[in-house]
Amino acid sequence: MNKIWHLAMKDLKLLSRDRMGAFFIVVFPILMGLFFGLAMGGPSSGSSGSKMKLSVVDEDQTPISQRLAEKLGENDSIELIAESFDEAKNNVRLGNRTGLIRIPKGFGEHAGIMWQEPPVLDVGMDPSRTAESGMMEGFLMQAMGNIAGEEMMNMDRQMPLIEEQQKNLETQLANSPIQLAASKMFFGSLKQMMGSVNELNSLPDEGSNAGNDSQNSLANGMQLVKVNKLDVTRELDPNSIAGQVAKLRSPWDISFPQAMLWGVMACAAGFAISLVREKTMGTLPRLQVAPVGKMTLLLGKALACFLAIVVVIAMLTTLGVMLGMEPANYLMLGIVSVCVAVAFVGIMIAVSTLGKTEQGVSGAGWGINMIMAMIGGAMIPAMFMPKILLEASVISPVRWSIYGIEGAIWRGFSWMEVAMPCVILILVGVVGFALGVTIWMRRSLA
Amino acid sequence: MASPNGQNKQWAVLIEGLQKSYGSTTAVDGLSFQIPQGQTFGLLGPNGAGKSTTISMIAGLLSPDSGTVQVFGQPPAQPLSRMNTGVAPQSLALYDEFTARENLTFFGRMYDLSGARLRDRTKWSLELAGLVDRADDRVSTYSGGMKRRLNIAVAMIHDPDLILLDEPTVGVDPQSRNFIFEAIEQLRSNGKTILYTTHYMEEAQRLCDQIAIVDHGRLMALGTVDSLISEHGGYSKVYAEVESVPTGFEFPGTFEESSLRFESADPVREISRMYSAGVAFRTLTMERPDLENVFLALTGKSLRD
Repeated sequence: MNKIWHLAMKDLKLLSRDRMGAFFIVVFPILMGLFFGLAMGGPSSGSSGSKMKLSVVDEDQTPISQRLAEKLGENDSIELIAESFDEAKNNVRLGNRTGLIRIPKGFGEHAGIMWQEPPVLDVGMDPSRTAESGMMEGFLMQAMGNIAGEEMMNMDRQMPLIEEQQKNLETQLANSPIQLAASKMFFGSLKQMMGSVNELNSLPDEGSNAGNDSQNSLANGMQLVKVNKLDVTRELDPNSIAGQVAKLRSPWDISFPQAMLWGVMACAAGFAISLVREKTMGTLPRLQVAPVGKMTLLLGKALACFLAIVVVIAMLTTLGVMLGMEPANYLMLGIVSVCVAVAFVGIMIAVSTLGKTEQGVSGAGWGINMIMAMIGGAMIPAMFMPKILLEASVISPVRWSIYGIEGAIWRGFSWMEVAMPCVILILVGVVGFALGVTIWMRRSLA
Repeated sequence: MASPNGQNKQWAVLIEGLQKSYGSTTAVDGLSFQIPQGQTFGLLGPNGAGKSTTISMIAGLLSPDSGTVQVFGQPPAQPLSRMNTGVAPQSLALYDEFTARENLTFFGRMYDLSGARLRDRTKWSLELAGLVDRADDRVSTYSGGMKRRLNIAVAMIHDPDLILLDEPTVGVDPQSRNFIFEAIEQLRSNGKTILYTTHYMEEAQRLCDQIAIVDHGRLMALGTVDSLISEHGGYSKVYAEVESVPTGFEFPGTFEESSLRFESADPVREISRMYSAGVAFRTLTMERPDLENVFLALTGKSLRD
């Protein structure tokens, strides 16, 4: 065991001094992770500069509901698409829209009247896009603030309402002359003030900014709109693309498992070559003339490869978390990582015996890696693969590795669910190791 | 390190009827010899004679097609034989990205060395290789001679009783070559058994107690330098310019005008006889046969062909 440890440490030390090897094992996967992460939506879709696609369903069809839609449409961060409620709901489920706003009937009757119950808006957001959800509510409040301010200055609408309120109050205060007189005085002053506001409104635009500010400030302390949140994803099939996408909390959730696999494959390919490289360098014969068993030599390589893979996964997990990836179950991620390491150690040992030269093993290693990556979801996420390719991917250990890692990060796997990829990966590792050892032992040097 | 007990323990290496082929090419063809403990044994032959293959079989790296190899009375692949054997292969076998100290420490650990013993052996090996000042520099920064010296030092790290040096001076500068010679002489004086392969006859003549001449995988001759020369080297050659000759003196060889040229198994005795007879020499040159002559006589070709 002591010798296996020293052999492994030797390989890891050599790896740490090999800049090109370190690039392919650490830097290249990070670049892949960042590239795919950015390609799938960036650090946060809300801050990426792209517009939020919102569906608007105007069931009220009043001037105020149309003004709300116009105001939202004027926002540079929003792309508003008018459609029916069913279309909107479906598009949010499919991930084509960030959310939907339904303006129900009766909205216009209550909007902008401070002393009445606030109007209701139905809002359904993609739950995986929480940042945008917050932003969208802010934009909604801003638009409603503007509408409320405008409505306050709208004498054609406000005067009849004030007179109606005065009439109602005076009816109630008919038996109290003092309160009736005070009420008349108050409403008189109010109408006078509103008349002044009307005159101000008729002046040219110089005070428009101040007006807007005051309009916005009207929102302070008042509820401008009551948001009724709709759950638009509840009915999703968890196995559908939309169902899977809906579980994502960050684009890094998909790109970093892929990146981890690139790092893992680079580790396996590097260590597979290292065995034949040692033969070329003469250090393998030197080790073979020492009292070191053949199995010890292989186990040393295997341990080094295993540790390197675990470290690479840990490093990429740390980086992913720093960028916003949120693993759902760290313990599960650790166990899956160990299974992935076992699988690729086995593959490494088998590949290392496939050729007799560095070029041969290198070609075989990367060739096998590329095929496994292509069909296994390291290039195109499995959820976006056509059905035929997805079915073929079951033969790729890359697919089971990514599946297991994703299960621990965002798919929300139970322990029973994660058991299958783990068992498959361990089997791949055992078979690969056994195959490699058999060939290695048969290709006896002594 | 004590030699293991076992059969034929007086021999560090025992080879009998060794045969090894690569496809249709016979590399070693019925080789037999023994190396007594404490002796420096030279395996002399041209490139492709089968020297490295023989070394690989003694080291347990290759298995013979037929024949027997024993190291201190045991098969070479036995752990005890491996512990007692140090191999410096012809091609450098070092980790270039490690320092000399790291290389020595790592290979020492492979021979179960640790702690103070490993530190002592590493220090000793660095001194042997003359690399104490560069011990912590990466091997990739070393000259060819320094790498070659370290290659030998790594073979010594575990203090083996049998040291296999396969062409240890190939491609090294004269300074490093002398350093290597001195190191080997030091090992020899410490009682180590050394098997030294070379195609440089001067090295074999300087270092080896006994020499086996091999060609095409076959043993051509075996013996000490002197015995090989006397048996196979032919006569010494004498060239002289004669100043005066007694009347009627009969010279051996050819004598034309004042130039004399002859060959003799005992040239000193012959020259003494001429002096006694009153022959006066202006110049006198004597060429003794060497291993090159031995090889030429045995194989019909030069060692460096």
